[in-house]
Amino acid sequence: MSVFKRANVTGGISKQSILAPLRETQIVSSKPVLPAEILSTILDYLPVSGQMRFARVSKRMREMVYDDTRWVQRLKLMGCWDEDEARKRAEAARRKRSETLQSIHQEEAKRAGIGVNGAAYGTNGSKKSERLGTTIFDAAAEFAGEDEKTNGAPLRSVSIVEDGFDAIEISSPRRPTAYEPQDTASRIDIFAHVSSLRGYARQEYGKVYGALAPFYVDAIRCENHTHATVFRTYRDPTQQARMLANISKFSNSDMSEGWRKRKEKFDALVGAFELAVSKEFEQALDAGDVTGKMRKYAHVLVYLNGGHSGVEIFISKSSIIGSRYRLGNALDCLNQIGPGSFLAEESYSFFSNVSTAFNEQVAIIDQIFPISVNAIIPFWQQVGKTVISEYLTILYDEAHRTNIEFYLKAVSTTCEQCLEMTRSLRPTSASGDEFYETLDQVVASVFEPHIDLYLKEELEFFKKTSNAEVNDWEKQLSEQDASMQSMFMSNVNRQADKRDFLTSFKKVVMMPVNVLPTFPMSSPFGGKPTAAKALVNGEALATTEISGSQTSTRPSSPGVINGTTLSVNRPASSLPEPPTTELAAKVAIMNSRLEGIRSLFSIEVALNLVHTAKSSIERAAVFVKVGGRFASDARLQCELVFISLLQTLGTRHIKTGFDQAVDHLSKYKPKEIDEKQRSGVTPLITFLELVNVGDLIQQMLDVFYEQELVATKLTDRNDFLNPAIKEKKRFEQMLDERVAAGLNKGIEVLMAEVEYLYATSQKPQDFNPGVASGGNLDVMDIGPSQTAIQVVETVSSHTKLLIGSTDKNMLDVFNQEVGMRLFAALCKHLKRQRISVNGSIKLISDMNLYFTYIEELKNQDLLQFFKALRELSQIYLVDPSDAKELATIIADGDRFHGIFRAEEVYQFAERRADWYQIKSKVERAMYGIGCMVM
Amino acid sequence: MSETQKIKLMSSDSAEITVDRDVAERSVLIKNMMEDIGEQAMVEAIPIPNVNEAVLNKVIEWCVHHKGDPPATNDDDADSRKKTTDIEEWDQKFMQVDQEMLFEIILAANYLDIKALLDVGCKTVANMIKGKSPEEIRKTFNIQNDFTPEEEDQIRRENEWAEDR
Repeated sequence: MSVFKRANVTGGISKQSILAPLRETQIVSSKPVLPAEILSTILDYLPVSGQMRFARVSKRMREMVYDDTRWVQRLKLMGCWDEDEARKRAEAARRKRSETLQSIHQEEAKRAGIGVNGAAYGTNGSKKSERLGTTIFDAAAEFAGEDEKTNGAPLRSVSIVEDGFDAIEISSPRRPTAYEPQDTASRIDIFAHVSSLRGYARQEYGKVYGALAPFYVDAIRCENHTHATVFRTYRDPTQQARMLANISKFSNSDMSEGWRKRKEKFDALVGAFELAVSKEFEQALDAGDVTGKMRKYAHVLVYLNGGHSGVEIFISKSSIIGSRYRLGNALDCLNQIGPGSFLAEESYSFFSNVSTAFNEQVAIIDQIFPISVNAIIPFWQQVGKTVISEYLTILYDEAHRTNIEFYLKAVSTTCEQCLEMTRSLRPTSASGDEFYETLDQVVASVFEPHIDLYLKEELEFFKKTSNAEVNDWEKQLSEQDASMQSMFMSNVNRQADKRDFLTSFKKVVMMPVNVLPTFPMSSPFGGKPTAAKALVNGEALATTEISGSQTSTRPSSPGVINGTTLSVNRPASSLPEPPTTELAAKVAIMNSRLEGIRSLFSIEVALNLVHTAKSSIERAAVFVKVGGRFASDARLQCELVFISLLQTLGTRHIKTGFDQAVDHLSKYKPKEIDEKQRSGVTPLITFLELVNVGDLIQQMLDVFYEQELVATKLTDRNDFLNPAIKEKKRFEQMLDERVAAGLNKGIEVLMAEVEYLYATSQKPQDFNPGVASGGNLDVMDIGPSQTAIQVVETVSSHTKLLIGSTDKNMLDVFNQEVGMRLFAALCKHLKRQRISVNGSIKLISDMNLYFTYIEELKNQDLLQFFKALRELSQIYLVDPSDAKELATIIADGDRFHGIFRAEEVYQFAERRADWYQIKSKVERAMYGIGCMVM
Repeated sequence: MSETQKIKLMSSDSAEITVDRDVAERSVLIKNMMEDIGEQAMVEAIPIPNVNEAVLNKVIEWCVHHKGDPPATNDDDADSRKKTTDIEEWDQKFMQVDQEMLFEIILAANYLDIKALLDVGCKTVANMIKGKSPEEIRKTFNIQNDFTPEEEDQIRRENEWAEDR
């Protein structure tokens, strides 16, 4: 843009007023002059020879043509310009500039004077054409070339060694004397002689151009590939290949008009050569000549273009691919025993066959291909794509068609086996660290088309089976008599039972469901720091907990179980007896004990569900090992299975059970129950049992979660946003809510029972013996009344059921509520009685009985109430003659810890059998004292 | 509506040429200018001070023909070789003008920043001088020879490797 000579001229004219003479000048200078940058663009489109002629036009043009960047770009296109090297050299050159400058000039002058081009060579070649056969190379020349090649190799390495900056080096390979005779060899190594030298890029390019352009031009011009000079000059296929590779590299720098066509033509030539070599290679392969021809032609192909076609041929010819059906038949896995059974042994033998065959082939690859070629990876990819993938597709399709469960098993097992197999493969010497990575990638790609379907099916399958399980059970239930006579647990040690049960449960959870016949899985216990930590925590907790109280809080109770059971479990798990049967026995015991809640929900069902979930998760977890996208997918899948487990078990099974139990509870009417059968509030007991089982299931799930998901790193315990954890929380919450709701109902029912007991069983003569026995005052038994004993028994038997099964806080609240309600009921009851002085002994015994019971609950607030009640009962003991004292007691608020006001105590005092006799006295004493003060 | 938008261009010799907007916007110069001045460009003629009417018409002819081409990508230098494609037949015919006109078109393309046209022009020139001797090149480009015969010969010998054969 800078040089707009013409624009200046015209601009000048427009300002001139005298036009005539200027028109003249306009004509003269009408030839527009192109600015330098456009000339430079034009140069880009000129072939090299044209550029050189252009350089001779003027000094400015020479400068433009000789511009180093122009030639550096071409060197870059050929991939032989090293910027770092150029920078280093430029620095070194700056230091030596003064001395080297001169010598370079001399060298250049000398070289320019006697420079020789390769043209003579081309003409030489064409004269020799009669010597040619129809093949591109002949076998006779091959062996002659062999020697040449070995001579060539050290020559090349030497030149690399002396690669430092050296002024002489610039022109040394072009020394006229060396040029002609060494021509053939030096051209092969031409790129080794090119150095990245700033300011001399044109000369460096010239070296390559001089050496290769004649061949390039000739190769493009000649009609018949066999007549190309390259093939006539070099007879050895190795040399031919290297030469062709060089020219191909060189052709990248050809950028003048029509390069595309030239490139195509040249590529066709290379293709023809490659084809010929490939044929030879194939023949050698068929002949099994591993170390001889196979190796030789593999090297030729590598020299030519990296040897991809050689690798391809090798792969396609490889016995492992050709005879893949001999390695194993996919359908054998399914149909051998009977339709719809899956045999892991069959697939395993297939994989081991693949493995051995592959290793054999790898040994051959190692022999024939040079180290620079990584043939094993494409080979393995091919094996994965054709052999393994095909096998699996057939297997999966068939399995999927016949039986989903076997399909799921097959997918997971084969994936596991496949991964195992990759570990047994041997890398070649050429493959580096990425070997195993690539193996896994291939495995991943083999399983890719199946994995989505598999994961979908897995979840579906689990949902279906779990739903079926619950439905089954529900159906069974409806078939049975719903109002089945229930038997319930007597005073067994619940905690011990549960722990025992959980122990065996854990043992079973530990056992892998899909035990593979040949690949022993490492024990899940093996070196898991998290589990160990939990164990230590758990044990510490357990000891404090047990010594502290019988009750264990919900948050800590899994820990307790974990701790103790784990420590028990460890030695136990090595026992030879199969834990599954042990667990089954335990389940039976548990079930018989929990007969009462059979109608609500079943621990057996829960166990079955957990089992199914476990196998599902374990199968899906195999894919975590595959890595990449599958790992996260599989992890997600495991969480989904867990969530679905919680949902089915929680909402479908347990929740309905609880709801039913609560429903039963609310319908309970103590009056309607036959007196004889009464040993407790049946629905409440059922419910409390339910709470126990619910807790057991919850702990079971917790163990399951810890072992299957957290310990196997399928999910992160600390990720509170994780859907699995959320669902687990929701499940626990649901359980707590149900328990709370049930307890609320339970308390009401319990109190109704208590009140019913009071109403029905308390005889009037209990506290007022005088009425019934008619003055036989001396004969009476000391001790609590029958009613009190019954009430305490009823209440305590129900509260005890809860111990250890619910949250401690909830238990406290429950106990407190029960206590308070009992207290209220007791007060109400008292106010309905007549109590004589003699009967008060019994009453006091009753109160003591209540008090001792309440003491067991360890609730201080509650204790106060019952203390007050105990004190209160003493007002009946006061002899009628001491009415004044009675009044003092009534008025003494401290005595009752502020729980009863004087008025209330007064009301209680009214229940004295002799109240009307002493009323005036007491009142006088009470209010009279007040009057006196007035 | 945008399809029928027309703008006016004014050449150096004050000729007004009406042209479709999308045709004119093959020129990056005009396109940028339109973005800068906006609606005003619809009313007033845009002066193209470096290009005369004949050349401008020729350039517009090219632009009309290449209206539908994808816009030039701006990643020049990425691989200068790969954009070197052969000249289309239509372009070849289009460029069959006298040398003066050819150079004028190149200059106009350069000024108006129409990369594709500039490329075609340069290629045409390159084809033109491909087999020419230095003296012929000098004549073509109106360049003075400032070499001594010895100097010129030295350059020739220096680059003998590049000779066609």
